[in-house]
Amino acid sequence: MKKSILSMAIAMTLSATSASAADLVFKPGEDSRFHWENYEALKSTNLSGETISVFGPWMGDEKANFDRVIAYFEEATGAKVSYAGSDSFEQQIVIDAQAGSAPNVSVFPQPGLAADLAAKGFLTPLNDNVKDAVAKDYAAGQSWVDLATFKDSQGEKEFYGVFYRADLKSLVWYSPDNFADAGYDIPETMEELKALTKEIVADGGTPWCIGLGSGAATGWPATDWVEDMLLRTQPASVYDQWVTNEVKFDDPRIVGAIEEFGWFARNDEYVDGGAGAVSSTDFRDSPKGLFQSPPKCYLHRQASFIPAFFPEGTELGLDADFFYFPSYESKELGNPVLGAGTLVSITNDSKGARAFIDFIRSPIAHELWMAQTGFLSAHLGANPELYSSDAARKQGEILRYATTFRFDGSDLMPGKIGAGSFWTGMVDYTGGKEAKEVAKDIQKTWDALK
Amino acid sequence: MAQLASALAIMIMGVLGCAAYFYGSNFLLDKLFPTKNRPYEQIARNLRTANMVRPWLFLGPAVLLLTFYLFYPVIDSFRLSFFDRTGDGFVGLSNYVWLFGSDEFFESFRNNMLWLIVVPTAATFFGLIIATMTDRIWWGNIAKSLIFMPMAISFIGASVIWKFIYDFRSGDDAQIGLLNAIVVFFGGEPQNWITIPFWNNFFLMIILVWIQTGFAMVILSAALRGIPDETIEAAVLDGANGVQIFFKIMVPQIWGTIAVVWTTITILVLKVFDIVLAMTNGQWDTQVLANQMFDWMFRGGGDFGRGAVVAIVIMVLVIPIMIWNIKRANAEMEGR
Repeated sequence: MKKSILSMAIAMTLSATSASAADLVFKPGEDSRFHWENYEALKSTNLSGETISVFGPWMGDEKANFDRVIAYFEEATGAKVSYAGSDSFEQQIVIDAQAGSAPNVSVFPQPGLAADLAAKGFLTPLNDNVKDAVAKDYAAGQSWVDLATFKDSQGEKEFYGVFYRADLKSLVWYSPDNFADAGYDIPETMEELKALTKEIVADGGTPWCIGLGSGAATGWPATDWVEDMLLRTQPASVYDQWVTNEVKFDDPRIVGAIEEFGWFARNDEYVDGGAGAVSSTDFRDSPKGLFQSPPKCYLHRQASFIPAFFPEGTELGLDADFFYFPSYESKELGNPVLGAGTLVSITNDSKGARAFIDFIRSPIAHELWMAQTGFLSAHLGANPELYSSDAARKQGEILRYATTFRFDGSDLMPGKIGAGSFWTGMVDYTGGKEAKEVAKDIQKTWDALK
Repeated sequence: MAQLASALAIMIMGVLGCAAYFYGSNFLLDKLFPTKNRPYEQIARNLRTANMVRPWLFLGPAVLLLTFYLFYPVIDSFRLSFFDRTGDGFVGLSNYVWLFGSDEFFESFRNNMLWLIVVPTAATFFGLIIATMTDRIWWGNIAKSLIFMPMAISFIGASVIWKFIYDFRSGDDAQIGLLNAIVVFFGGEPQNWITIPFWNNFFLMIILVWIQTGFAMVILSAALRGIPDETIEAAVLDGANGVQIFFKIMVPQIWGTIAVVWTTITILVLKVFDIVLAMTNGQWDTQVLANQMFDWMFRGGGDFGRGAVVAIVIMVLVIPIMIWNIKRANAEMEGR
């Protein structure tokens, strides 16, 4: 009797893992705009019986989209790929790596964190073929290679990952209907944006929705604001030096950028719920105010991924649209663009993991998500026609032809700053602490790291 | 589904494994020290040896596991606290120097002290009051079950529940948070409770008090039942009123139990982590030691040395309470 229960339980385990059959959303070979030859080439790699574990920050709809991409890899190679997402990825991956139970492949939202792990010897370097391919295939390819090149435990520089899915951060989202009803125009300069903010208040509305809440990562949306503001008030060289701490965090130029963010976020009249609500509103909930009737706010500055959190049925270009977060006309710094991306690296080497990286850097992997929603690619080989909407295509173009493009600074800083005291500092700042004090605290943490 | 099945399989295998170990070791003892068909003296000697070996055999796995999972980590944390962030380079006392110069540490230390004072006191106090009151009413057992129920909820689960109680919606939105709904009903301004510095610590503590009151109540209620009726009757005959009976007759008799309940909750509070992680992640000035340790150890690449230093501080704080608790428990046992 006991034996039969046991064997039943084991049988259940086995059947449950093999139950999920792959559903392919786009039929291979049907739409000629896809690079199906990449998919056909994959079939020569036989990985049947191999399991590849992938761990990353994507959850919900994003996970569903990624799972649909993975399905093609599984179908072609016979491997079983299990993707798990967590919104505490930053902590969990460190625990897993140190415990020796890291997934085969990890999707890092922050190159700084990947650099920390590489220095401890937890990442597997990729060979020069991959590196050369990335330099050739990506828009501004060398900069993407540099962003994924870290020192290993011996202090040697190695290349560690492929960027997959880029985010464009310098965007302001709005509802065209609400703008038309109120008779507002799209601001072309920062001066106009600030004037519009005041105008909306004068009309009795609330201009902005800002939410910094993100579970254990609360505070990060504010770091994007500060970075965008720094690029609009100082030359890009200051930004680069700030990221490496050659320009101190409590430098007046940085404090100035924080206060520029405060101009919007610390004014009770300018933000929905008042300044006090900024740090506790979840960033996934905050854009919803745009679409309520009457609107709770008219403007929302957030990266290109945010439509994933718009209310269901929101049509981009119709119900929601975006414009470039403008630069100051008076400063003559050009029109800088802030962006980011997720880095796919091997944290537990295997044949399958290598094959998966090869798949991720091929155009088809990018196209399969582009054709769904919420994906931008800097991969020049990926066919921009496949973007699911004009809005996405427009963003993709901004990304491809960016001149001053800077990667999210907090993601490049050491994890303890970029994924720690910078976040906490921004929460403190919106809570009423002075910008100077906050900057000093962050610099103190940075000094303590040295 | 896969997890469920494998969890079930592991549970069954675990239970079967334990049973197999029990029968197996008994069988082995019987084989090595036979007690049948032997001369009388040999049987007696064998019985004695078997009885001496048996407890070691049964306790063996537990002792081994404790060594691995308790003793080794303590020693290694202590060692790591003298090393740098990668755990490779020896840095002497510099992690300790850093710790005592860090504002973050003093913030968490202060908050931990607040937790230590408030939570055990409140939980024991409410537990005692409820235990006394529910002993006298006919629906006491129903009330007790309700109050004990939160004990069955994990800390994270409890935090999720309380997140809804403290939930805040801005402007004229309908308040889905219980507390704000009440405040608004009485004409007040909705507050964003968990972001109000200093006071938010207390809002988090309430969650643990809510969980632990049931534990205190059950233990204290058992102790109250153990008070001989004669002493109470004597007090009644002497003309003592309810309050006097409670404070002068009942409380002194269960003093030992109160102390045990108190210290047990104190040790639990020193380890408080999940609630803070789920509710605020240490932001808005609610950092506590365990969260600080976790942050340094695992956030942004991790820093073994600093994480270990905080761990050592927590351990140093726990030790005296544990020693006192064990002494106390030993004294109680001898008294019986």
